[in-house]
Amino acid sequence: MDIILVQTVVNGLMVGMIYVLMAIGFTMVFGIMRIVNFAHGEFYMAGAFLFAILYGSNGLPFSISVLLAIGATALLGLLMERIVFRKFRGNELNGMIASVGVALILQNSALLMWGSSARTVPPVVSGVLSVGGIVFPWSRLVVIIGAIVAVVSLNLLIGHTRIGRAMRAVAQDAEIAQVQGIRVDVIFPVAFVLGVSLAGFAGVLMAPVLSVSPFIGLAPTLKAFVIVVIGGLGSVPGAVAGGLLIGLIESFAGTFVSASLSEILQFLVVIAVVLLRPQGLLGRKEREA
Amino acid sequence: MNPPTTKPMSYVGIAVAVGLAVLLPWFAPNQFYVHLATVGCINLMLVLGLAIIARAGQLSMGHGGFALVGGYVSALLSMKGWPPLLTLFIAAVVAAVIAAALGWIILRLRGVYFVLVAFAFSQIAVLLALDMSSITGGANGLVGVPPISIFGYVLRAKPQFYPFALVCALTTLLLTWLLYRSPLGTMMAATAENQRLTESSGIDTHRVQVIAFTVGSGIAGFAGALSTHYLRFISPDSYTFWESVSYLTMLVVGGRDGVLGPVVGVVVLTPLPELLRSTEGLQHIIYGAVLVLCLMFVPNGLASLIQTWRSRQRVATTGAARVAEEVP
Repeated sequence: MDIILVQTVVNGLMVGMIYVLMAIGFTMVFGIMRIVNFAHGEFYMAGAFLFAILYGSNGLPFSISVLLAIGATALLGLLMERIVFRKFRGNELNGMIASVGVALILQNSALLMWGSSARTVPPVVSGVLSVGGIVFPWSRLVVIIGAIVAVVSLNLLIGHTRIGRAMRAVAQDAEIAQVQGIRVDVIFPVAFVLGVSLAGFAGVLMAPVLSVSPFIGLAPTLKAFVIVVIGGLGSVPGAVAGGLLIGLIESFAGTFVSASLSEILQFLVVIAVVLLRPQGLLGRKEREA
Repeated sequence: MNPPTTKPMSYVGIAVAVGLAVLLPWFAPNQFYVHLATVGCINLMLVLGLAIIARAGQLSMGHGGFALVGGYVSALLSMKGWPPLLTLFIAAVVAAVIAAALGWIILRLRGVYFVLVAFAFSQIAVLLALDMSSITGGANGLVGVPPISIFGYVLRAKPQFYPFALVCALTTLLLTWLLYRSPLGTMMAATAENQRLTESSGIDTHRVQVIAFTVGSGIAGFAGALSTHYLRFISPDSYTFWESVSYLTMLVVGGRDGVLGPVVGVVVLTPLPELLRSTEGLQHIIYGAVLVLCLMFVPNGLASLIQTWRSRQRVATTGAARVAEEVP
């Protein structure tokens, strides 16, 4: 196979993995709490910012910076769930509007606290790995490995633990799960915090690759939306498939045509999916009410 | 969802409000208030468009996208020499046609999916405006958009533009009110209330929602064009996601039912960014907080408080009369 083609595929999968990380958290929060979280990208931004400050500006050790950044994002998520999202779970429209308000508050709090100028974070590892002419920059590889570890551990958590089973039960039918003795009021915050922590982790991973500013949250939110509409809202495998697909589209359009065409192409894919398979590629059909 | 009964008192209230709005340029302390009122008129049109979509049970997070499309269409055509008074309407039609096509496809989906795709559309509109720089001027936007002229009378300055904006806003308000009272308006409200039940009574709710989305987005296109000719400028930043959010905020804070809600929302929230202009971040935080707090504590909007207060007064007066009859 042509080397450029292989490199394009590799690049696409690398970009796609970060999208997968964003979309999984987003789709989890929807699947379990029925909340479309427009503030999802703001948790990504918070993770990136905290990491930039701890690791980039204050020079804390890498591992401690990562843990602190994710911990603080999780705490922020817990706080937001307590104060706002708890009141709107199950109420799709109002919950979504409320999340827009939360996005405004978080984004502009970051603006007030940290200013609007973009920050850069020194790369964690530099250099490239070259395998048979295909180039893997180490800074990117760290991102990919981190994302794969996160996705696999989440999958194990959902598939093989008690709390994971409980979350699946709540996602299927919160009322019946409650009757079965599942503490729904515990599952909701757990799912929400888990979801936004994944976004925070994505932010941490991406901070050394991108420049960090208060406004970086909206683009990944849009990506997460597009991916879950393609994959099926609430479906974790759908988020993985959709994320990788969008990564590939971006990579191919970026290499062979233009970056902006990729956005339009993604939108057309969304429209096509909506026309042909409204529940998304791997989504379940909504049960009739 | 009964339409509130219109008492003579309401007509007096409406007359006073319209009178104040018309006389504003004469008693406003300075031009800035006239500017604010003009922006309020444009906002009112946008929020009414959003309210019509919401009336049929959908929300559009891409409302700014249609305003952007309208703005560019009118700016480009009028810069080619077309009369702006005509291009305003062409802008509305173009936005409406796009909305009809998009709506026909995506309105088969449940609410949340629809919102996501409409949101994605508005992002695409911004990206296209940025990207097609040979036509749209890219990030620099279009400068020197011709002013609107009516029979040779050029609306160049603020005091001249305001009456025109007010006429447009009041016309939109009146048409929206008439729409709500028409059979179509009833179908829209019924669709929002219970789509399945409405469908079972033989109404094509998909069509009703497509019409609402088309009309609402067409109004957004007109308002976007109007604003472009007022500011004489448009750029991809003119209508971003956050503009769509601010219209949604006005609708939620004011109230989603009836035409009073949008008016209240616009009157309350239009001056806010101007008052807080010096603190850019804080202004948006307050916007977000107002939105969240309203959803929590006044989910039906501020207008519902007015209506509750009025009906309570009515109950109080009639109730007192009844008590007086029954209690010896």
